[in-house]
Amino acid sequence: MRNESDREIQSFFDQLKEKDLKIDIPVFPEPTKPSGINWWIPFGIAASLALGYFLWPQQKQDFNPPAEVIIITLEKDENDNQQILIEEKTYLETWESPTSSLLTEY
Amino acid sequence: MKKHWLETILKELHSEAYHWSRQCCSFDDDRAKDVLQLVYLKILEGKAVYKEKSQVKTWLFSVIRFTAYEELRKEGKNTSLDHLADMAYEDDHPENDSHEALLQALPERQKEVLLMVFYHNMTLEQCAEVMQLHIGTVRTHYDRGKKKLKEWIEKTRIEK
Repeated sequence: MRNESDREIQSFFDQLKEKDLKIDIPVFPEPTKPSGINWWIPFGIAASLALGYFLWPQQKQDFNPPAEVIIITLEKDENDNQQILIEEKTYLETWESPTSSLLTEY
Repeated sequence: MKKHWLETILKELHSEAYHWSRQCCSFDDDRAKDVLQLVYLKILEGKAVYKEKSQVKTWLFSVIRFTAYEELRKEGKNTSLDHLADMAYEDDHPENDSHEALLQALPERQKEVLLMVFYHNMTLEQCAEVMQLHIGTVRTHYDRGKKKLKEWIEKTRIEK
């Protein structure tokens, strides 16, 4: 129960409240909702990889074997003179086993 | 769910919380805004947790009061909550007779109790919770504060 003295004090605070109505109250800060995944990061990585793939200098590798090869050999004739023999062969004909030298040299 | 509920209540109490923050910061608007911002941040970061042991308003006022004194202490303007001057200005009549000046001239704890009871319509029990004091101590501050303020109000009225 409030007495006369309390009413006087209450009136003092009521006046203060009325004055405070003129005060600008800052806006309540709304918390920002964090998004689950920031899709910009994976999207950026994918875009960079795609761009890199197209812009990277590509070297064309030619796997086609030469159609013909010229083989120049130095042989001795009957008179023991050295002569040069020039032959033209297709690529497949000139294939030589990597171990063929073992057969001829030993 | 609880977070959303708390957010709604905080929103409802925002205006009152701002006024309380201002009153704890010696009616300094800028500092009151900073303090309230810090309070919301503490709540958001989980540094200030509501445990449903008291009313949200009592808990919020307690956090605001604590944060305001923490900020004042950082600035070296006050020592701690436990060393608030109770004897200060006991017989000094304030130079300025505005409402704020009269309240500022009161000892800090008397000012707080009177503001909580007459401005924020809280009970003495709730004041005791906010100030973390025994109800008897709060009642003493309340009676002394009322007596002193009434004297000053009457004195101001006569002078006018």
